Amino acid sequence: MTPKDSLPHGAPSANRAPLPWARLALAGLGALLVLFIVGPLLRLLILATPASLGEALRDQELLASIALTVSTATAATLIGALLGVPLAYLLARRSFRGRRIVEALVELPVVIPHPVAGIALLLFLGRNSAVGGAFARLGLEFVNHVPGIVAGMLFVSVPILVSGAREAFRAVDPRLERVARTLGDPPAVVFRRVTLPLAGRGVLAAAVLAWARSVSEFGAIVILTYNPQVASVLIYDRFTTLGLPAAVPASLLLLAVALGVFALVRMLQPAERR
Amino acid sequence: MIRLEGLSVRVGDFLLQDISFEVPAGGYGLLIGPSGSGKTTLLETVAGHVAPLGGRVHLHGEDMTGVTPERRGVGFVYQNYHLFPHLDVRENIRYGLVRGPLSAPQQMERVRELAELLGIEPLLDRSVHRLSGGETQRVALARALAPRPSILLLDEPFAAVDPATRHNLRRELRAIHTHERVTTLQVTHDFDEALRLGDVVAVMAEGRIAQLGRPDEVFRFPNSAFVARFIGTGTVLLGEVTRQAPFADGDGPFAAWFDSTPLRLEIVAEREGPAHAVLRPEDLMLSREPLQGSARNRFAAVVSRVERVGPVSFVHLDAGRPLTAAVTTASAEELGLQAGVDVVVTVKATAIHLV
Repeated sequence: MTPKDSLPHGAPSANRAPLPWARLALAGLGALLVLFIVGPLLRLLILATPASLGEALRDQELLASIALTVSTATAATLIGALLGVPLAYLLARRSFRGRRIVEALVELPVVIPHPVAGIALLLFLGRNSAVGGAFARLGLEFVNHVPGIVAGMLFVSVPILVSGAREAFRAVDPRLERVARTLGDPPAVVFRRVTLPLAGRGVLAAAVLAWARSVSEFGAIVILTYNPQVASVLIYDRFTTLGLPAAVPASLLLLAVALGVFALVRMLQPAERR
Repeated sequence: MIRLEGLSVRVGDFLLQDISFEVPAGGYGLLIGPSGSGKTTLLETVAGHVAPLGGRVHLHGEDMTGVTPERRGVGFVYQNYHLFPHLDVRENIRYGLVRGPLSAPQQMERVRELAELLGIEPLLDRSVHRLSGGETQRVALARALAPRPSILLLDEPFAAVDPATRHNLRRELRAIHTHERVTTLQVTHDFDEALRLGDVVAVMAEGRIAQLGRPDEVFRFPNSAFVARFIGTGTVLLGEVTRQAPFADGDGPFAAWFDSTPLRLEIVAEREGPAHAVLRPEDLMLSREPLQGSARNRFAAVVSRVERVGPVSFVHLDAGRPLTAAVTTASAEELGLQAGVDVVVTVKATAIHLV
């Protein structure tokens, strides 16, 4: 019997359960926050009558805008995945000079206010800049064109994609890869037979989250490419020019897209993290 | 055959240095040492996962120092086995065969053969998440052996299983070793395992090989106090060696005193001065009355504790210095040994080994 075991009942110990009133207070605080999230969304969903949804689905401008949003977000995610997944693997597996710096730089967009990102991208990719000018000569224009939307989305979503994929790779025990090597597989084959099957869901979840981030982007896009309008810009535009009721159907449709993506991400995440 | 020549390996800010030893073809070698002595890293260096700073790794007669792991012909079993979690038992075992020269039916035949050898046939269709420690271990062994490696590297293969399973696995491993004729190098921290399994043992300490030899030799003649303590050879006493006949000349062993207050023991020594003496438990004879005979070291002690391990009992003694004796449990009972009993300890001068 350890000294701790021999303490009389009711004696203070470090891990006793909180008193009932304390538990109640903790639960109350948590409930307030949850209500703050659920409340506004429910308030919006109450407006989702068949009439308003029908109106939204007949609105050609809105449908075109959602199609534009979905396709540009998909393009941004594919570009991000093409460039970011190999980088994520490198960051997870190799130690090289400057790895920490690269890791920090890739996460930097998280802390940059989105309009600031938009201004920076505008200066970098505008026709009068060296980079933007070079692209323009190749026929690729960003500002007030669709590629500008993709650029804004990519900038803000890349941290989510790279850090998510990096953690997914990091969760694969390198000893599994080493065992596979001794069983006769060169590194590329080990990646295909062991690493990717084990990290795949996590990488996919990161890509879906990055896609959702792109769909919801407003601040950077509104500065780079106001027209053609992605869904978030369209909602803002209708709200400022036509008022609140005009913004609701579009908001409902975009909310539906977001909730669908959210469900997909939850399904992709491993059970223990749900 | 595994031959390491002057190998040095960096592990973080820790260095393995001057590692040289050989496990002959078909032999069974053991690496033993405290945790953190670099044993796992040494195995990973043999497998090619870690590049050495210097030295050579020869496997089956070829210099493999710069060769990638997939071309070394080694099987590797980690301490926690690391089965592929996305594959079932059968596919785990078959992993190393899939890209090999065997046809699919031949691969299945090899999987079945190994499953039979290891007694895991009923598990083949199971998920690896539903295996016990012993079963996981057998699957990991089968997976490593499937492509017929000429070398098998085992990292503490019995650490994660219960003692009964360990006993069975150890016997099976010896049988498999013979059946598959695979040169084996195993990491362990259990010297008992080395005595039972090994042809050659390397005791590692602080990144170097402290002693290399046949397990029974190392057990009988540890070359340092560290090795003696680590492999549990017996009580290690620090003392002073002096010649019994101070004016006697000549080379070779001489009769001497070993003083380790309050004990003065007669020994046979080859040099004077400070030394460690190893008293092996089985060399300490216990009696209630002084024994007759030629053994000349006799001293009194008090039993402080009796620890029964099956047919053998370890008797912990206080003779001014703590000592441990091993007697059969039958004679411990016959002598009525229990805490507080006075005994006479007898030990032959030639049984005391200096390191």
